[in-house]
Parts: sequence; C-alpha cells; structure tokens
Amino acid sequence: MTAFIIRRLMQSAGVVLAMSLIVFTGMHLIGDPVYLLVNPQSDQAEIEAAIRRLGLDRPLWEQYLHFLKGAATGYLGDSFVHGTSALKLILERMPATMELAFASLLMAVVIGIPLGLYAGLYPQGIAARVIMATSILGFSLPTFWVGIMMIMVFAVMLGWLPSTGRGPTSTFLGMKSSLFTLEGWRYIVLPALNLALLKVSLVIRLTRAGTSEAIHQDYIKFARAKGLSRRRVVGVHLMKNILIPVVTVLGLEFGNQIAFAVVTETIFAWPGMGRLLISSIQSLDRPVIVAYLIITVLMFVIINLVVDILYSVLDPRVRLGEKSA
Amino acid sequence: MKLAEPSVAAAETEAAGGPLQPSVETPFQRFVADFRDSRIAVGALAVLLVTVVLAIAAPWLVPQNPYDLAQVDILDARLPPGTPSSTGTFTHWLGTDGAGRDLLSGILYGLRISLFVGVASGLIAMAVGSALGLAATYAGGRVETLVMRVVDLQLSFPAILVALMLIAVLGKGVDKIVIALVTVQWAYYARTVRGSALVESRKEYVAAARCLGLSNARIVFRHILPNCLPPIIVVATVQTAHAIALEATLSFLGVGLPQTEPSLGVLIANGFEYMLSGKHWISFFPGLALLVTIVSINLVGDHLRDVLNPRLSR
Repeated sequence: MTAFIIRRLMQSAGVVLAMSLIVFTGMHLIGDPVYLLVNPQSDQAEIEAAIRRLGLDRPLWEQYLHFLKGAATGYLGDSFVHGTSALKLILERMPATMELAFASLLMAVVIGIPLGLYAGLYPQGIAARVIMATSILGFSLPTFWVGIMMIMVFAVMLGWLPSTGRGPTSTFLGMKSSLFTLEGWRYIVLPALNLALLKVSLVIRLTRAGTSEAIHQDYIKFARAKGLSRRRVVGVHLMKNILIPVVTVLGLEFGNQIAFAVVTETIFAWPGMGRLLISSIQSLDRPVIVAYLIITVLMFVIINLVVDILYSVLDPRVRLGEKSA
Repeated sequence: MKLAEPSVAAAETEAAGGPLQPSVETPFQRFVADFRDSRIAVGALAVLLVTVVLAIAAPWLVPQNPYDLAQVDILDARLPPGTPSSTGTFTHWLGTDGAGRDLLSGILYGLRISLFVGVASGLIAMAVGSALGLAATYAGGRVETLVMRVVDLQLSFPAILVALMLIAVLGKGVDKIVIALVTVQWAYYARTVRGSALVESRKEYVAAARCLGLSNARIVFRHILPNCLPPIIVVATVQTAHAIALEATLSFLGVGLPQTEPSLGVLIANGFEYMLSGKHWISFFPGLALLVTIVSINLVGDHLRDVLNPRLSR
C-alpha cells in the first residue's frame, strides 16, 4: 500500500511536470508576449530592455527551468493583465467555483436519487418512463443552451431569480460562502441546477440500475420476510447498497464539475476561476492560463489518487499493488 | 455467438460479386431489418437526414445570404419571428439577429459549419484513433503500453478541459478547432479498437488466416479491422454528436470559431446579449437546431449500439 502510494505520487509528479512542459512550450510557440507588456509607443531599445528584464532573451529551456524554480516555491508568474500573482488570482476565485461545484453535486443527489429510486421500484409506470426519457434528454442537451433558457424563463420572463453574479457572501466557521444565507441560495440555484443537469441524469441512471438489480436480492426478500416496513426496507437496506457506486461516481465527477464550471460561470457571470480562464484566453494572459492548467491538472491527479486509494479501502478485492495504474 | 457483420464491407462484397443465393438474407439486410425495429430510431434518422440535406442545400434554400452585406439591412435588426422584411420580398419566419440578418438563413448556414466541423473531426479522429489502436494491438509490447498509457491519461481529464488547453495554445479558427476536437477524441477510438481487436485476434478465423501464410498487415487490415467496425461505428456516432456539442460550447465561450465562421454556437453566443432584454428568439432557434441535431444523432447511435451488439440475442 505504502509502496503503491509512493509510486503513484512519483507518477503523478511526472504527469504534472509533463503537462507543465507541454503548456509552457505551447504558450511560447504562439507569439511574443513582450508586445502585450510594453507601452505601444516604446522604441526598439525599450522593447529590448523589457525583453531582457523579463528573461525572454534566454533559451526556452532556461526560461522553463526558471519557471520551475518559481513553481517549486509556489510562484507561477504574474498576470499580464492584473499585474498580481497568477496563483493568487486563481486561489481568490477558487472558493466560488468550489461552492458552485458542491451545490450542484448536492442538487444531483437530492434530485437524482429519489427519481432514480422511483424509476427502479416501479419500472413499468408511466412516471418511470417519463423520468428515463428526460434523463436521455439530460445527456443530449448542450449545457450552455439550457443555461440560457433557464435565464430566459426564470429570470427574464418570470423574474423569480437573479440571473447573474454570486450575491452576498457571509462568513460561517471561517468560510466565506453564499450558501449560508437564503439570499445567497437565490443566486446559486440557477447556476448550480445548470451545472447539475448532466449529473442528475447520471445519478438517475445509476440509482435505477442499482435498484432494479438489488430489489431481487435475497437480503431484500429476507428483510421483507422479517416483516419490516417497506419504508425501512427501501430506506435502509436498499439504499445502503445502491449508494456505493453512486458515491464513487460522484466523487470522480467532482473534478469534472470544476472543469465544466467554466461554461456555467460564463453564462451566469459567476466570479469563479473558470471565468478567469476564459477571459485570460481571450486576453492572452499566459501566466494565468498556465497557472490555471497546472492547478487543475494537480487537482485531477490528486482526486484520481484519492479515489484509487478509497477503492482499495472500500473494496478489499481491489489490490493496489498489482494494478499498474 | 452470432456476430452482426460489418455492414459496409458486406454491402460492397454483395455489390461486387452479386449474391450467390438470393433467398438468403445478407448481413446488411439483417442489419437494416434490425434497425427498422425501433420507430424512434428510424424517425431520428429521418430527422437527421433532413438536417443534413438542409445544411448542404442551404445556399439554394434560404431567402437571403446572411453574410452578403448587400442583402442585409441593419434596419431589420432584432425583428421578432414572422415579420416581413423591409424589402418586402420574403418573411423573417424566425426573426432577425442583432445585425439584421435573417435568422432562418443564418441557422442553415450555421448548421453547415457545425456539421462540417463535427463530421470532419469525427472522421479524422476515427482514422487516427483506429490506426493507433490497431498498431498498438499489432505491435504489442512497449508500443502498446505507451499508446494505452497516453489514452488512459487523456481520458482521465474531461474533454472540455483538454480542448480549452489546446485552444489556449492554438487560437481560433476552423482548422484549429478540428485539431483540438481530434486530439480530444482519438483516445476513445483507440481504446475501443484495441479492445475489440484483442478479442478478434484470438478467434479462429485469424488463426486460419495465419495458417494460410497471410502477411500480418493483411490480417490486421482485411480480417481484424472489418470485424472491429461495429463498435467503431457506434463510437463514431456518439463522438460526432459530442464533437458538435463541444464545438458549440467552445464557440459560445468565445474561444472556438471566429465571427467569420458563424456556427450554431457563435449564433447562440451572439443572441445571448439580447436575452436579458427579452429578445429570446436570437438564441432560442439556433439552440433548437443544435438540440435537434444532437438528439437525433444520439438516438440513432443508441439504437445502433443495440443492433450491432452481438451479445443481445436477436
């Protein structure tokens, strides 16, 4: 187990390093950043001075090593546009993204599990068919278009909910979030629902598949034979067993949520790190792009590692030592 | 186990040599009959064909070339659906956008671009991915480990993140977005092809071909590849729908196609700014066209999966 974790950590470091190399070189292939940084009226001498000051006259490998040296101490360069540390910019916006991803996962569970359970318990009913058909639609609908339609219906036509921004945040137990006030929830409900859409479909399908399989198992029959109420059989015996795959998949999907938040944040003007990425791509703010990608890759590598370790803890049949992941 | 024969190869053989026994159902006929079982899938296929024909024939169907400035009048901007145009020659059935372009014409032109990008990137990714998957299986050893590692690594990141990363490096444009989509998608094909090629290579007909002394290349391309086609076709339909959706998403975010190549995603993005003032049709109708295209491809793909799956008894 320890050997596995060490080996995986080394592999992960390799992946992050390779990614940083690819992104760093790619960024430098697309043109000279110096013209974005200097005054448009500056003459040749000033431009050359700026190039020297930024270290852009050095060979690429030397620049990369310099970048790595900075990265090792937690410095990923300064944003061209904002003039402050790129890492700080991203970390400032990270709580908003995390909050959105968390709220959407919560919605996926709260909406998806009851619907999936119902569809699994009464597969022949009309309601179950409607639920399953809707879940197919949920897979096919382009997220961003649904987001626009949500704004149109709930914000413009009905005027029930605000369409943009994060709303007021309040501090609770040292965490700043808009989830602690009702007003904050009014702001997050549309973006979170939009981001949750795909996951709701996924959870419905997983729960339904698990339910229709588990319902014929002996332990369910035995629980019934013991005379337990239907509520207890479904709520305790059934739920405990079908939740394992649902929880695992949702854990894996958390990273996806953060990546897809890019789209939702742009539509709903949510001040998270995804929106920062899009505006950085549009303004060619390279240090921020590089920092965002490195942080995200790092996050993914960690999530994958944690999930693999959790698998082996939850399921004794999985032997990590033999797996060459 | 009965394997549904690859339709394309079978159809070609039939066309070339003619059926020896006309009474026997060919694999292709069986495939067609199986496919017709689902009315939903047949309907979806019909819708899809109509969409493709509309997209291809757009220049001859639409009342206005929306990108010919001589035909567009800025005074017609943001007209609601059903308003007659200021020239009085035709009606804007779906309204006009912020620059006075007829929306129906814009959608059909946009459909052309969206479908082209989706199909082109799907086909290239299929060729690249299948070739690498086959090569991995064929070469084995280090090459196989290397290719499959890269596949695993890439599939552990969400497609949109990889695409954004590439777009950040490459920039905007049709060619660049196709490159990004191919890079995102090839891994799905490689994994699928390797999986089924591994299964196929252990079958008796491959052993028989070996005994006949056929070259390895001939065995891989003429014997194994045709038998891997059913799963490839299924992945291709699903991935083409994904590619269209992903391109639309990137274009909506403003990092995909430029304004000069207005795909459906660009049209939706253009309409988004008018959404808050209640002019919903500028975003709504392009989105509807996108939705119909993606859903019909997915429904066809879903049914193809059932028809081509040898494990389902038929």
